[in-house]
Amino acid sequence: MAATIRRVRSSARIRQIALTSGWLLVFLISLLPILGIVVGLWPPEQVTFADLKPFLAYQGLSVSIFMTLFSAIFSTLVSLYIAFMVYSQYHLSQRLQSFEKYLAPLLSLPHLAIALGLVFLFSDGSLFFVDPGLPRKGLSTLILAIVIKEVPFFLLIFSAIGRQLPIKYWLLQGKALGYQDYRCWWFLVFPPLLKQSRLALLAAAAYTLSVVDVSLLVGPNIPELFAVSVYRWQTSFAAGDQALAFWANVMLVILLAVTVFILYAHEKLAHGACKSLATQGSRFYLGKINPIFTAWLPMLGLLTAMMVVVFALWSFGFNWHSDSLVLTQLTTKLWQDEWLFFSLPLQNSLLIGFFAGLLGVALALLALELQRQKGKYWPDYYWLLAIILPQLSMVLGWQIMHIWSQGGYHSGWIVLSHLPFTFAYAYLVLKGPFLNVEPRYELLAASFGYSSWQSWWQVRFRLLLPAVFTAFAIAFSVSISQYIPTLMMGAGRVTTITTEAVAIGTGTQQDLIALYVLLQSILPFMAFFVAALLARRFRGSMGGNSVRDY
Amino acid sequence: MISRLFSPLGKTFAVCCILFFVTRVMANQESQPLNTVAENSVQWQQTLKAAQGQSVYFYAWGGSKAVNDYLRWATREIAQQYRIRLIHVKVTDPSEPVSRLKAENGRTSAIDLMWVNGENFAYLKQQNLLLGNLWSTIPNSAFLAVDKLPIRVDFGEPMDGLEVPWGIGQFNFIAEKALYPTTQISAKSLLNIAKANPKTVTYPRPPEFHGTTFLKQLLIDLTDADPRLYQLATTQAQQELLPALWQYLDLLHPYLWQQGQAFPSSAAEQLLLYQQKTLSMAVSFNPNQWLKEKSTQQISETSVRRYFTDGAITNSHNLAIPKSAPSPDAAKVVINFMLSEMAQQKKFTGSWGDPAVVSSLFDEKATMPAHPELHSSWHVLIEEVWQQRYGG
Repeated sequence: MAATIRRVRSSARIRQIALTSGWLLVFLISLLPILGIVVGLWPPEQVTFADLKPFLAYQGLSVSIFMTLFSAIFSTLVSLYIAFMVYSQYHLSQRLQSFEKYLAPLLSLPHLAIALGLVFLFSDGSLFFVDPGLPRKGLSTLILAIVIKEVPFFLLIFSAIGRQLPIKYWLLQGKALGYQDYRCWWFLVFPPLLKQSRLALLAAAAYTLSVVDVSLLVGPNIPELFAVSVYRWQTSFAAGDQALAFWANVMLVILLAVTVFILYAHEKLAHGACKSLATQGSRFYLGKINPIFTAWLPMLGLLTAMMVVVFALWSFGFNWHSDSLVLTQLTTKLWQDEWLFFSLPLQNSLLIGFFAGLLGVALALLALELQRQKGKYWPDYYWLLAIILPQLSMVLGWQIMHIWSQGGYHSGWIVLSHLPFTFAYAYLVLKGPFLNVEPRYELLAASFGYSSWQSWWQVRFRLLLPAVFTAFAIAFSVSISQYIPTLMMGAGRVTTITTEAVAIGTGTQQDLIALYVLLQSILPFMAFFVAALLARRFRGSMGGNSVRDY
Repeated sequence: MISRLFSPLGKTFAVCCILFFVTRVMANQESQPLNTVAENSVQWQQTLKAAQGQSVYFYAWGGSKAVNDYLRWATREIAQQYRIRLIHVKVTDPSEPVSRLKAENGRTSAIDLMWVNGENFAYLKQQNLLLGNLWSTIPNSAFLAVDKLPIRVDFGEPMDGLEVPWGIGQFNFIAEKALYPTTQISAKSLLNIAKANPKTVTYPRPPEFHGTTFLKQLLIDLTDADPRLYQLATTQAQQELLPALWQYLDLLHPYLWQQGQAFPSSAAEQLLLYQQKTLSMAVSFNPNQWLKEKSTQQISETSVRRYFTDGAITNSHNLAIPKSAPSPDAAKVVINFMLSEMAQQKKFTGSWGDPAVVSSLFDEKATMPAHPELHSSWHVLIEEVWQQRYGG
């Protein structure tokens, strides 16, 4: 008797220790962004409020801030609505059930490549230029490039969430009550989907708000977008610029908070609107344009194919603007020349992405499970801090701490520096599906005598597998695309395909830029493609406690 | 048998070589007042010995294939000659190593060698982060063409042995010959070209470095190179000299690409627009870039190089070693190699085309008539007022 009690006690203690260390681990990783921003933004020289004056007096500041905020919110919401309409078209068609794999090529081209491809194909002096065309630099081009890139991202998130939602039953119920299809979608499916994709919305808006490379290439620059100004001040060591950079970063954090607020407000409004439209039974013409969006994915596929062809031709030395257009000039010389130099970075990227992705997914699952056991979920923006906070300042803080630690420059540090990002993205993919896992299955498992660990691993995790594959693919590609942490923590000791590609991208050699764009897309493409195939094999559960969740 | 036959010959050859070398060094010492350690001195031999087997992490801009290829070649040569591993850390912005040195705050650095000039150098010098006495401890710096090129001063900041010139930048246009018939351009002729060919002329958005230099060239032209431009900008000088530039830009901007409502973000982007034949001109700091781009068919056959009437604003790009570099000896050996005749020759004749900075290879034809940089106070001023007037 006493022995049993002791055994129970010791197992309880082990459980306690496991829980505590689990929390500790999750805390450490989720606190890294805050630590980074505090150390990184810590005013190095005496920054005073007197420096605020030249910052506020900077010509065009208010327009710049307004444009930046507008482009972030607008492009995110437009992407959301387009993605939802596309999703509604594809969800019920048998043939297109596994549309995820068609998303792979769209998702794997970097943002910058899409912007580059767009202006090459459609702006002034380009191949398919029709007056007035796309402005070479302007808010519309920037927003278009972001929307093209974010719609597939949202589709992927919807698909991960949708797998765990009883959408079919909702639609059946809606129809039974006499609603048309499109009404069912808007009134029954949209509100829960919107709520569960809130994290993805935050991530997309924060990205647009602080993106530098795409803004430099296609963004307007009279005045320039705010993120560009911040970057310019932060990287300038002329007198006064560092003080400007400090206040600009503070401003950026405020803008990010405003964005979060606006997105929450939008969610509330949308819920309210859906409710009142549904109960008043008034007409809802807007919803009817749905069928047009069936064409979205094929069109985008075509666009992506065109871009890939353009990049491939460039990398083979084809020159659209030379006087003689002959395909026989194509040569693989550049690929052969560069092969020696890109194979190692490619391999580094693969390994770092694999470990950072895997650890990120594992930690996200851990964080979710710990919160589930506690019965209380923390606010979403806390887990997404790595994505939301200004990256350059945050990573600068990590760099300073890394230098203090004198730990050398091996790739372990780079994996660690990618981890907050892969964790945040894995968390945003997994949260919806995790909440919606049918609790009865676990109850059933427990009644068969499974231990809580067994039932977690063999039931919950199994049910989550498709979402886990998606989360891993996104986390992996996020790790591949990291430039600033890789360079700042690795100090050039570890080169990845992205450190090479970004450096090359600041130059003028089109063929080389194109080659590295393609190389940079290969690994994410494989990850998304394989994840889509695997996700199809291991379908998730339908149904769950989601219904009472909202 | 053969070796015995050749050995006396070999000895004679060696003696000749030494004689030749000694006379050359002496000749150089006569023409150059620079006090530098000799290649065969004990001190340098110790440096060479200490450098063996070390790695040199070289932070340098990685956007140019020509430069990257050149550094790949240099890496091979340096490994063979000195058993030093040179690693090119490709950065997108020259401020990246500066920001790292600031973060390191005097601890052992991750950087051994860096490519630097302008405000980044001024900042590092002011913060006392650079290793000194480079000119006097690196043998080949004795051969720098200090009497022919403005390479003792970096944007008004004396180098003081804290950095060593590596190559030369000269501001020029790469332009379509038909539209830019004369070798030299003036502010007036440029305005006429822009009027006759609207939307084909532009410049990178200041404070991008090329864009600001373009404005400086215009200011020199419009004020007939007023001597006050080379001194600290007094309020009176500002009031008398700057309005000419703004009046000119007010006239020019409506004819620019996008009517001056948007500008290329960088010289690289402007060159891409030129390649796509959207623009009739691009700007460059490499006096031979036009030739290299033509030879690789990146730009049209009818492209030519043009520069401003008063001469091209000329400056140097330089190499520096952080004070806290882990392998300063090896870094010095690398700088010495970069200043060697072989390396300088290859830099000029290879795909990069960057002019040599050593006397023996100095070639009038490789460069354009040089114009000195303005005093740095004008640089800041032009950028600020431009932002006020056109940037917002």
